[in-house]
Amino acid sequence: MNSSAITLAEITKRFGSHLALDNVSIDVASGNTAVVLGPSGCGKTTLLRIIAGLEVPETGEVILNGVTVSAARRIIVPPHGRRLGFVFQDLALWPHLTVGENLDFVLGSAHVSRSDRSRRTREALALVRIERFSTRYPHQLSGGEQQRVALARAIVGQPHVLLLDEPLSSLDPDLRTELRSELVRLQRSLALTMVYVTHDREDAAALAGRVVEMRGGRIAAVHGEEHRM
Amino acid sequence: MWQGQRSRTVVIGIAFAALFVCCVLPIVYLVATTFGADSDAYTALALDSRQRGLLYNTAFLGVGTALLATAIGTPLGVALARVPLRHQAVIRVIAAVPILLPPYIVALAWIYLGSRRGLLAALTGRDLFSAWTYSPPAAVVVLSLVLYPLSMLATEFAMRRVDGRLEEAAMIVAPPHRVLWRITLPLVAPTILASALITFVLAVSEFGVPGLLRVRVYTTEVFTAFAALYDFSRAIVLAVPLLMVCVVVAATAAGLLGDRLNTARRSAGVSPVAFHDWRRPAGIGFVAVVAAAVALPLLILGREALAARSLGEVVTGSGKAVVRSLFLSALGATLVVALAVWVGYAQARMRRSARLAIQVLLVLLFATPSTIVGIGLIGVWNRPGIAGTLYGTDAMFLLAYLARFVPVAVLILAASVQTVSTSQEEAAAVSGAGWIRTMRGIVLPQMRLGIAAAWVVAFVLAFGELGVSVLVAPPGDATLPIRVYTIIANTPASRVAALALLQALVILAPVAALGATASLRKGQ
Repeated sequence: MNSSAITLAEITKRFGSHLALDNVSIDVASGNTAVVLGPSGCGKTTLLRIIAGLEVPETGEVILNGVTVSAARRIIVPPHGRRLGFVFQDLALWPHLTVGENLDFVLGSAHVSRSDRSRRTREALALVRIERFSTRYPHQLSGGEQQRVALARAIVGQPHVLLLDEPLSSLDPDLRTELRSELVRLQRSLALTMVYVTHDREDAAALAGRVVEMRGGRIAAVHGEEHRM
Repeated sequence: MWQGQRSRTVVIGIAFAALFVCCVLPIVYLVATTFGADSDAYTALALDSRQRGLLYNTAFLGVGTALLATAIGTPLGVALARVPLRHQAVIRVIAAVPILLPPYIVALAWIYLGSRRGLLAALTGRDLFSAWTYSPPAAVVVLSLVLYPLSMLATEFAMRRVDGRLEEAAMIVAPPHRVLWRITLPLVAPTILASALITFVLAVSEFGVPGLLRVRVYTTEVFTAFAALYDFSRAIVLAVPLLMVCVVVAATAAGLLGDRLNTARRSAGVSPVAFHDWRRPAGIGFVAVVAAAVALPLLILGREALAARSLGEVVTGSGKAVVRSLFLSALGATLVVALAVWVGYAQARMRRSARLAIQVLLVLLFATPSTIVGIGLIGVWNRPGIAGTLYGTDAMFLLAYLARFVPVAVLILAASVQTVSTSQEEAAAVSGAGWIRTMRGIVLPQMRLGIAAAWVVAFVLAFGELGVSVLVAPPGDATLPIRVYTIIANTPASRVAALALLQALVILAPVAALGATASLRKGQ
């Protein structure tokens, strides 16, 4: 069995009086995909944000590749120190930067040399088949192309873990199917550890056999052997 | 429904007609008059050494103030938006106070600090600063201390509107300072640039500070030509380059701002970048700037004022001017808001292109130098017939306040209108309410704080208004700013300081009340 890339141990999170996550524990093995499935408001996005370090858990621990990165009420390793890629639901492409510059910002933050930055940017764009859009701004692209840019931006830094927050929810069915296959291909070719949040059972079925179903901030069901409740 | 539409058309039509008469007509008149100006007057524009000096001083004042005020205001705005400071609302109000103080009050304090008989000379026993006190760089420093809140508030406002997700996406890969530098600041750069351009326009439009610090610029030259030389043609011709620069720069600023002034939409989600480690430097920065821009000038004026034999006598001696100023400012602010509320409503509910066009016009009107507005008002109202009956009366002060401050009030109130969704009006309409009833019962009650804010801003600006008032004041009648400005040359400094201090305190009282109200509402 592979070692755990992500371990969430007894995570609880409240927003005021609302209990968003209630004692949630999950393990995801290195190179595997976990799909977190559930309706709106069940806490799946909060779970992703806690893994990323964008939210602080009230109880429990987050361990990435053996390193405790968050503990109860504190961030031990800040988001940028966790070697993550994150695809947001609304993509959050930086509108004042071109596609190439969006990717370059990631590599520049990781202190990659200028020549390597340009090569890796080209490679990442080629992986998602949009290398010709390098000099365009996000608003000059279609929804599907923007989606690919967001994906390229998330993988260009060669992250240990890729987090995706309903990245396909705003796309039409054909494009969804196409990009889902693309994601599966990328995950396999790069051996990425991936956590994919969705409310769509089709997404869940297409992406992985390991599905964590959430309801009311709790894990309601787990399909797959690598998760513990 | 038809009834409702008709009443809306009538009210808004009247409001726009009033806006045209009060704010646009004086400038149109002045521009039209330049075509018929005496040809000899155009020699005033010949680029001789005197003109070059005038041009240099004006450009230096504008560019220097824009750069320095932005350098001071932008970091403070970033701190207000991203550093979790205690008592942030109070800090914001105190740091914004300088923009409400009449600039010449700060200039006066500056003179009492650095002049030959000023505080520094008294403390050091040597006259080291007087030459520098009356110089263009000194005028830049004084105006920057007065105008930096514009940049501060614009930066804070813009940063709060940045979509939090964009910063979150960057935080996944970069430390907070890099996120601020590469993502947040470039996104708010157009707003910062626009505020710098507006600062430039306000600086080159300023009359009181260069006048007191003996810096020859276009505004003082226009005033001299008109009020001292009685050369109307020369004053108009000299006003043209100033007006052109202001129009071009203000239009650029308005274009850069786009919808940013009117859209009350907040950014999606929570802004994640918070600089907890910057609390101490931010606190030190606020203390230093507020000390230099607010506390020090008031303390210097207070020290000078205490030398007056009887403060009560000084205040009583100017009692008439104080009462007239209070009355006229309150009445003027009420008229300004009464007009601006309808124009603001109309602007907020227009199509985007029309809304932006009106916004450009409003910024242009606000940026028009006060001396130009003053001359335009005199040209429009100093004539035989019914119009002439107002000239030479206190009504000219009210027209001056309307001409100067309706644009600002409209911008505030349009933003306030946008917080009320159009669907609320539609719901009232389908319930059978006419437009006036909808405004009275649904829209205006929700704009209460915006109306109060617009009134306070208009009152404070009117109470400190000098540039137009000094030109249109009826003979023998003076408001407090005119009295302070005109007695400087031949009255003991202590008396002038006492009056200036009184004026500052009257301005600060309603600001404090508004700040307290806002804090209480936030607390609730």
